[in-house]
Amino acid sequence: MSEVQQQDSGGSDKKHKKIRAKKSSTHIDMTPMVDLAFLLLTFFMLTTTFSKPKTMEINMPVKPDKPEEEQKIKESQALTILLSANNKIVWYTGLGDDPEKPPVTNVADFSLNGPRGIHKVILDRNQDIFKKVQLTKDSVARGILKEDEGKKHIAGYKGFKDGLVVLIKPDSTAKYKNVVDILDEMNVCAVGRFAIVDITDSEKELLKSTN
Amino acid sequence: MPKKSPTLDMTPMVDLAFLLVTFFMLTTKFRPEEPVIVDTPSSISEIKLPERDIMMITIDKDGRVFFDVDGKQTRAKIIEQMGERYKVAFTPEEIKRFSVLSSFGVPMENMKQLLNAKEKEREAINKQTKGIPADSLHNELADWINYGRNANHKFRIAIKGDGQANYPIVKDVIKTLQSQKVNKFNLITNLEEAPKN
Repeated sequence: MSEVQQQDSGGSDKKHKKIRAKKSSTHIDMTPMVDLAFLLLTFFMLTTTFSKPKTMEINMPVKPDKPEEEQKIKESQALTILLSANNKIVWYTGLGDDPEKPPVTNVADFSLNGPRGIHKVILDRNQDIFKKVQLTKDSVARGILKEDEGKKHIAGYKGFKDGLVVLIKPDSTAKYKNVVDILDEMNVCAVGRFAIVDITDSEKELLKSTN
Repeated sequence: MPKKSPTLDMTPMVDLAFLLVTFFMLTTKFRPEEPVIVDTPSSISEIKLPERDIMMITIDKDGRVFFDVDGKQTRAKIIEQMGERYKVAFTPEEIKRFSVLSSFGVPMENMKQLLNAKEKEREAINKQTKGIPADSLHNELADWINYGRNANHKFRIAIKGDGQANYPIVKDVIKTLQSQKVNKFNLITNLEEAPKN
């Protein structure tokens, strides 16, 4: 494009030099500048990072100074989830700390709607709170409830004292991804009370026996 | 028949181009050079990471720990204190270099080497390094976190872990944090759509 213009003006200059001399052209060839502008535009467009990373906030329970101050969880409200290599999940209800009665273990996976998906297991146990939280979210979305009020309600539901408590116990072969996935599942299923706990030896045995 | 001019008025297009250039120039924040590529797992969380006052602990897929804080002056302060703690004397030149460095993952004994390395050598060091020691026997990460939080009280701690990292390393990092009485931190994840029920 630039060449065409240059040739054009150059050619006419030579022919009508005397006539053209008085009214010198007000046009500047802006092509190089425009080229540069587009070059810069492309450069900045490609280097810009628009998506800010998203984060998940977690609060670890504060370690009490004395062991007596530790919170006791009732057997009936606990759900223990063991995580192992190859995305394997083994879960059982209760705490499983009674050596007399070994817990009944179940194998699960991370699928959302699969027959053994952990999502369903957690949701089944947490139906009541999940429904309440969902209702609150709906009314916030419809504008019936103010956002900060809704948040307060949800926090209240999630903190329900006799609600489900999930104990997450990753073994040494578990991947970080599995832990994040299960934490995410807590968010999805509106489980407010969960903890990442060290795995015990008896649970390692349980993992081994369920292949 | 009049000869049609082959030129067309490009002024609006050029105007727009310059507008976009200006926009991108002003909004661009260059992606900091990172020593390792980390593929973070995804979650439905939509909380955005604040732009400033971030203390970032990166764990790559081989379980190496990297550390990064923002703020030049804060960084200079931290490296001075770390130098005192580990009996490594840094020259002002080295401190200056550290303050503009991004994430790093070398133990203190190799810090001088990293700071004096050229760009190519630095890449090689980052490839070979075993990361910042974070186990219970020799825990330099705890000191970094400690001095970092002393230098800037507003720091939020974020863990950026690779999905394929083994959990025990993450556990070590979390334990280190908890030993410093940090019980609230962020895990950096990609965005994933929430399942609909």
